[in-house]
Amino acid sequence: MTSKSDHELVPVHELLSDKEAKALLQKLNLNIDNLPKIFESDAQAVKLGAKAGQVVKINRREGKRDTSYYRVVVEG
Amino acid sequence: MAENKNEYSVEYGDPVGMIAAQSVGEPGTQMILRSFHLAGIESTISTSGLPRIIELVDAKKKPSTPITYIYLDGKIGKDFDKATETLKKINEVRMSSIAKRILENFSKGKIKVVLDKQELESEGITIKQVAAKIDKALNLESKVEDNGVVVNMHTRNLKEIRAATINIMKMLVSGVDGAGKATIRRDDKTGEFYLVSAGSNIEGIMQVEGVDKERTTTNDVFAIYRLFGIEAARNALAFELKKTLKEQKISVDERHLNLIADAMTASGSIKGVGRHGLSGEKHSVFARAAYEETLKHLIHAAAFGEVDPMRGVTENILVGKQIPIGTGSVKLAIKKEDMAKIKPASHK
Repeated sequence: MTSKSDHELVPVHELLSDKEAKALLQKLNLNIDNLPKIFESDAQAVKLGAKAGQVVKINRREGKRDTSYYRVVVEG
Repeated sequence: MAENKNEYSVEYGDPVGMIAAQSVGEPGTQMILRSFHLAGIESTISTSGLPRIIELVDAKKKPSTPITYIYLDGKIGKDFDKATETLKKINEVRMSSIAKRILENFSKGKIKVVLDKQELESEGITIKQVAAKIDKALNLESKVEDNGVVVNMHTRNLKEIRAATINIMKMLVSGVDGAGKATIRRDDKTGEFYLVSAGSNIEGIMQVEGVDKERTTTNDVFAIYRLFGIEAARNALAFELKKTLKEQKISVDERHLNLIADAMTASGSIKGVGRHGLSGEKHSVFARAAYEETLKHLIHAAAFGEVDPMRGVTENILVGKQIPIGTGSVKLAIKKEDMAKIKPASHK
């Protein structure tokens, strides 16, 4: 599931499935609470309908390169 | 190019945070401490230089000079007259700025608002519009008299009349609440007209017809956070840092600034870097004690039995252990089966 960016400053957010999230954490050798966080009440999280514990993938553009960033949804 | 990519990426154990701090800190010493503004050159002056950087990294809730850059939809942005029309819809005008004086007649229970004709003309507002605004706000009938508006309060209660007067003074006559004074500018490169306003009610401004919702932005990072979320705030923060340094002709690799923005927004909200933010929330007791408020942290840790895992740099320097950077960040272990192959050192 992807949200359309509604502002220049907002990169495209993407909700990962539980399976994808698990594979990601395994690949990065991380615990889920090591990831940066995004609140459930965050404008973009609300748009995606993300629930606490899920992982959001953020498709960033740094200079000329596309990079991805991940945030775990937390309550708040 | 793809093959070279890895040559430029950091290696495991690189202290990227420390390098970022040094890379911003050193050129920061060359920055102007307090810049002087030249009157008349720009209608909206913004904080710049070191004070602005401090404001950003301390995550101040409101910038000292909020500014919104309002871009306009395609056709409107190319037409000066249409852009001016949109400007009038946004530009915040309060009664206190268009009224010459407000006269209270307590014996008759009337308030007379004497308006400044010149101000009215320059803002493009008619007296009738002002009267209609007052009617709506106070739910009363008011009359237009040659150069002002007379409001009949139908009461002689001093308190009520005074309250109404104060209400009228503060009243929003036209524009968007909290938008501030707006001016029109022209982009030299594209020839496009855009507006700059000295407020940060970006949400209200975006409701106005003709405003480009995708490009309109503000220097108020928290306003962006509330409206668009943490990722947009991170981008805005990094952008503002870059812009401020660029204004001072200081070149810092943008990855350092991105890292600072990432660290400040990692918790899901914007945190400053100081005592009340990132440094104050470090896990290690010693690292916090080494920074500021030493006793407070040590006493708290002693009273509550806190445990320091000694994984950071500061606490290891403090006790004189090897710091976990570069080769210091790996621990060596030996497999059990290899252990058996090693011959014990022979002693003579």
